[in-house]
Amino acid sequence: MEKSKINEAVPPEGRPESPHRRRMLGAAGVAFAGLAASARAGAAPSGPPNSPDSGAQVTDAPQSTHTQDRVPFRGRHQAGIVTPRPTAGMIASFYVLAENRADLERLFRTLTERIAFLTQGGPQTDPDPKLPPAGSGILGPVVQPEGLTVTVSVGTSMFDERFGLEKKKPLRLNQMQRHPNDALDAALCHGDLSIQFCANTPDTNIHALRDIIKNTPDLLVLHWKQEGTVPPIPAVPGKPAESARNFLGFRDGSANPDSADDKLMDRIVWVQPGGDEPAWAVGGSYQAVRIIRNFVERWDRTPLQEQEAIMGRLKPTGAPMDGGKTEHDVPDYTKDPEGKATPMDAHIRLANPRTKASDKNLMLRRPFNYSNGVTKSGQLEMGLLFICYQANLENGFIAVQKRLDGEPLEEYIKPIGGGFFFTLPGVRDEHDWLGRSLMAA
Amino acid sequence: MTVQFRRHFLATFVAGFAGLCALGAKAAVSPLELVGPISDYKIYVAENVRKLAADTRAFTAAVKAGDIEKAKKLYAPTRTSYERIEPVAELFNDLDKAIDSRADDHEKAEKDPAFGGFHRIEYGLWVQKNTKELNPVADKLLADVLELQKRLGALTFPPEKVVGGAAVLMEEVAATKISGEENRYSHTDLWDFQSNFEGAFKIVELLRPLVVKENKAFSDKTDANFKVVFDTLAKYRTADGGFETYSKLTERDRKLLAGRVNTLAEDLSKLRGMLGLN
Repeated sequence: MEKSKINEAVPPEGRPESPHRRRMLGAAGVAFAGLAASARAGAAPSGPPNSPDSGAQVTDAPQSTHTQDRVPFRGRHQAGIVTPRPTAGMIASFYVLAENRADLERLFRTLTERIAFLTQGGPQTDPDPKLPPAGSGILGPVVQPEGLTVTVSVGTSMFDERFGLEKKKPLRLNQMQRHPNDALDAALCHGDLSIQFCANTPDTNIHALRDIIKNTPDLLVLHWKQEGTVPPIPAVPGKPAESARNFLGFRDGSANPDSADDKLMDRIVWVQPGGDEPAWAVGGSYQAVRIIRNFVERWDRTPLQEQEAIMGRLKPTGAPMDGGKTEHDVPDYTKDPEGKATPMDAHIRLANPRTKASDKNLMLRRPFNYSNGVTKSGQLEMGLLFICYQANLENGFIAVQKRLDGEPLEEYIKPIGGGFFFTLPGVRDEHDWLGRSLMAA
Repeated sequence: MTVQFRRHFLATFVAGFAGLCALGAKAAVSPLELVGPISDYKIYVAENVRKLAADTRAFTAAVKAGDIEKAKKLYAPTRTSYERIEPVAELFNDLDKAIDSRADDHEKAEKDPAFGGFHRIEYGLWVQKNTKELNPVADKLLADVLELQKRLGALTFPPEKVVGGAAVLMEEVAATKISGEENRYSHTDLWDFQSNFEGAFKIVELLRPLVVKENKAFSDKTDANFKVVFDTLAKYRTADGGFETYSKLTERDRKLLAGRVNTLAEDLSKLRGMLGLN
């Protein structure tokens, strides 16, 4: 009833309301006028007008100059690890349904082919409208790459009896174990295969995920997925890029090793030839994923100095507590052996004590913030989709997490999911495919 | 879509194959070739709805007699004939809601007065463990099933609904059944799976001669996927011809079924187009 009244009072799209039509509105028109009059009787709205001056429309798509960002797909290593982290990330974990090596190879080849297309973009055509379209179409008929990277890793369960790969398992790949503060949900843990999607927009990641699901119905079943974002900051010419902030409001990833330094990455991230790992794994990396819930309401009710003492950094700048101006300044713990400036149990000090011995525990972190709605208690379900890469999982994530076990920050965080995976070496050329070295080993 | 509108919509399609002939001009399969499979399918549906009516009569009688044990025994087998013909039974939206809606389709879930049909009785038998409130529900279920039988008898089957029905059944299993949420009180889901697959396979069987002409590899792959599904479910058969409860389904078999269902849904989604149907 109400709806039809409104519809009548609104002139058809794009056509100016004629006086004749206005007369015809009759009672509805009168009611409408009355409403307008009563609104006028109240206080007139003040402040500047809200209408955009460009003539842009509400439903116009947001504009971006980055839709054609392309990250090369082929290389010694998979993209999406030392690639600078874009705004949107996602980890999807799958069960692999392949029952034999031929099917597994078909899976790897299909993934290679789809990822090569999705990351570089291009048209998707549908010659027969009687058939379902080839893709979801959510990016339009020409797929924009949007800086997409798709990174494929395998879980320890891929090395069970199914494919005869038992003896090929990377030495340090095991199922993620529970740490004392964890409350792991089986529905959010582990998996045969993880795929990390990163792009300028979440829609690009979703498009890629849906494409892969559509192209592998008999090979993959989705187990769990978690999306996340990183807030962009203004680009300031001449100033070093800043580290992004997590949902606790602190800069995250400040102490990350320089991902543009190939030699450093070879040492910290990539499995190297000549070590104890199987030869097929050279060029790959261990991926640790943790879904870490943050109790943000409680955190926001914690005194600032306590937050800073727990993290070991100043909140506004990210600078360490013993001096310095930015998050890039390095704390000197040798001058603070009793933890007077930076508490001994501060998060950053436990995670990286910056000793000679702890140098081998470095890893490359690539986390995203996640937000999933509301808990049963009416609190925000949000936190960190922690992702890190390292050449040695035991020396990297596992050692660091053991040092962190029992840290004061635990009162505010709860790891609920994730898993350990091994990121396959890169696809070298057009004849190569993901997993080829593993299958040939 | 209101029921009246939907009926009108169907009636338009039912008008005959004339329009179809024009639409299908490009396809190798002549629309006239569909007449045989579709009338065979109509017979299949008639047989199933006849059995559904008889079984529902016995089932609701047991409920009304307060014989919980007997009613529980009849619950899953009674549903099988409905689950086989779901794609056409669902054409009558009002009846499908009345017969087969689940608690979460209703705002107040189990306590919602509009929650009726099979799953309301299932709730009474397995959770409430008494039939006190079930008399009117049982009467309504039987009346709805008889009404369904009447309407199906009068319906000329829209070919695209029949052909598309195979995919519809797979989509249903994939979206809301594989998790075991359909029969959440009785856990008799494997009975429903079996029936949904049988219903989809029947359509595939009837169309096979036409599909083979279009794409033999597609036909072989679909048959192979159905075989895996039926073989997997057969492992859970009980001595009396029934099925184990859903909880007995291993994680591995659940994933296996999910993958086959997804593949069948993906492949069967092309069936209408392949046969030149809109």
